[in-house]
Amino acid sequence: MNKEKIKNFTKVVLEPFAFGLLALLFIIPAITVINLEPITKAIKDINVLGVTNKSELQINAIGGSHIIFRTEKVQFLDNIYSYTTTLLGRDSGRYSKPILEIVNNKEDEISLEIYGSTNIPTGSDFTIIIEDQVYRLQGSQGNTTTHKISFVPKKKYVVYLAIENFTSIQFDESFELSIKEIE
Amino acid sequence: MSTLLKRALKISLVPAIIMVAGKALGIFVISAIHNFPIEVGNDISGFFSTQIYFQDEVVTYFVNSLSDFTMLISLAVPTIYLITKTALFQSTLQNPKTIVKVTKFNMLKWITRDDTTFLMIFVWSAFLWLTAAIVIKNVLLDRTYSWIGIVAGILVLFVGLGALKTFEVQVNKVYPNSNKYY
Repeated sequence: MNKEKIKNFTKVVLEPFAFGLLALLFIIPAITVINLEPITKAIKDINVLGVTNKSELQINAIGGSHIIFRTEKVQFLDNIYSYTTTLLGRDSGRYSKPILEIVNNKEDEISLEIYGSTNIPTGSDFTIIIEDQVYRLQGSQGNTTTHKISFVPKKKYVVYLAIENFTSIQFDESFELSIKEIE
Repeated sequence: MSTLLKRALKISLVPAIIMVAGKALGIFVISAIHNFPIEVGNDISGFFSTQIYFQDEVVTYFVNSLSDFTMLISLAVPTIYLITKTALFQSTLQNPKTIVKVTKFNMLKWITRDDTTFLMIFVWSAFLWLTAAIVIKNVLLDRTYSWIGIVAGILVLFVGLGALKTFEVQVNKVYPNSNKYY
């Protein structure tokens, strides 16, 4: 009698776990497959001795997933690096993401001209953050500002893009950030 | 634990492994064939921190597309086989002409045992739907060739119809159509 009760109790306790396990059997492969998707990143160009990198400026996309940042791309055309992304419709609030990695492999300090905007102003405030320093790119009225920022040699910088909007945005928008080296 | 749940757990293991293996093998085999430099890093936080990097955007697009296709095909082939097998088995019960055709194509093994259940077909189809959803999401985000998304959409449609037909067959086994007998 007792054995029967224990058996029935175990059945009742195990059943929800089994359902959870079944759900996990679908969820885990899906997350793994999404995570396995390759992303673009410049592989370090190591010389024969395996010590130094190419003596140049490197700008790489950090990638990864985010709730509003989609289809991030970095292109280099006519000596201008351009980072583009699609920003999904969102609730009011502040969003930020590490977007670029800037490496100055040169022997000297370099200056970069950085500016960015959306195609249509949506009342959002766009800023970039480098080494805890905030630079406003586009104000909520659509006014844009170009910044000249210096980067010391042999150092890696992570650029964060921060967006703040006080009302919710219902549609997707594209954002472009341009980076040009000043000779 | 119910027998149905036990069987569902047992059946789900193989397609889950095939789904991940199809994607991973797709990436590594295609990279090896075309000699693409590949780097595995772990500098992004998320569910899993391991990431696969390629140097060029075009290469990333190409490898991701073909690995999506490999994953899709590795799940679609067994699912279509299960549905076709069940359809043939049912057809042989109702139509003797099918037996002749099956014998002609030396496929008698397919109809000698009814070991394919609706549960099995449903689980495999569910994994294929999940895979197709991921592929279509990648197409919409411009990470995979659009033709792979179209193939995924067509496969999902046909497999869905096949699963529905199998479900009808199973229901008819439990609740036979009265018009047929009276």
